[in-house]
Amino acid sequence: MAAAAEKSTKERLLSTLDDLEVLSRELIEMLALSRNQKLPPSGEDTQVLDLLVQRDSEFHALMGRAVEQGRLQEEMISLQKEMDKRDSDIQQLQKQLKEAEHILATAVYQAKEKLKSIEKARKGSISSEEIIKYAHRISASNAVCAPLNWVPGDPRRPYPTDLEMRSGMLGHMSNLPTNGVNGHLPGDSLAAGRLPDILMPQYPWQSSDVAMGMLPPHHGNEFGPGHNKENEDDVEAMSTDTSSSSSDSD
Amino acid sequence: METEEQAKNRFQSELEFVQCLANPNYLNFLAQRGYFRDKPFVNYLKYLLYWKEPEYAKFLKYPHCLHMLELLQYEHFRKELVNAQCAKFIDEQQLLHWQHYARKRTRLQQALVEQQQQHAQHQPPHSNAVPK
Repeated sequence: MAAAAEKSTKERLLSTLDDLEVLSRELIEMLALSRNQKLPPSGEDTQVLDLLVQRDSEFHALMGRAVEQGRLQEEMISLQKEMDKRDSDIQQLQKQLKEAEHILATAVYQAKEKLKSIEKARKGSISSEEIIKYAHRISASNAVCAPLNWVPGDPRRPYPTDLEMRSGMLGHMSNLPTNGVNGHLPGDSLAAGRLPDILMPQYPWQSSDVAMGMLPPHHGNEFGPGHNKENEDDVEAMSTDTSSSSSDSD
Repeated sequence: METEEQAKNRFQSELEFVQCLANPNYLNFLAQRGYFRDKPFVNYLKYLLYWKEPEYAKFLKYPHCLHMLELLQYEHFRKELVNAQCAKFIDEQQLLHWQHYARKRTRLQQALVEQQQQHAQHQPPHSNAVPK
């Protein structure tokens, strides 16, 4: 294509046209002059004619070039259109790709969540038989559901009653110091050694609950002096053992 | 390191103790003796949370104790338990909850019985009308 330093085709065409105009005017003036003056024409008219012919051929060449340039320009336009179409196609595909990626990402995320919950459920899975057995056990002893014939005044409770507490292992352990060691394990002697303040069995709820009618009155009379229930000592013994393991979690 | 026998005894005594926590009167007793203010005791209560695991929970006869144990982790609850009215309230609510299903069942049974009675009452008038 024409370099930037050269004049554009349009300019050259126009300048050639100007030259032609000037030359032909000159020629006509010379001819008019020579007719008037009847002088033998100098070689100038041939020069002018030559220049005229030259300019004419230049003009034709430039026109041809202009036509060629026009054709190329059209081709360029059509190619540009094609390019634009391709560009928009690419953008369309890009949008679809983005959408697809988004959908897939969501699907993958949800699948991962699902897997996590499956794992969690599997971890906590217990055989249904065991659950049923456990359900039987806690229902049979009326620990979670009151017996159908329960009335206020019935000593049964959803928690271990004082009687039950004292007749358990902990209750027996606390009986040691007054009864003497009777074949229990060395671990219990620790409990035996520290029994000071628990010996006062003044359970404060005994007096206040008689009015309720929900709690059986025998709670008030059950506790004799000397044997309390627990081994809060024993508990303390355990807590000192375990506090070293559990205190670090504080 | 403790022997197997000691471990067994410890298991049984901890099992008994944790279930005793289901008894709100006992909790009141402990609160009034100041055990809940004792840091080692509080740590012990936290340690006892292992009874929530299924392999240990299956030995519990009184499951209410687990709920009490969870509540006992909170200092506010431990402080409140010093009041006898608090313990009484918990006891009442616990008993009412305990009786809930039994009452629901008797209600359903009564409803069923009533329904059957109504059905039986409607039968005779029809049997008189039919021959007509």
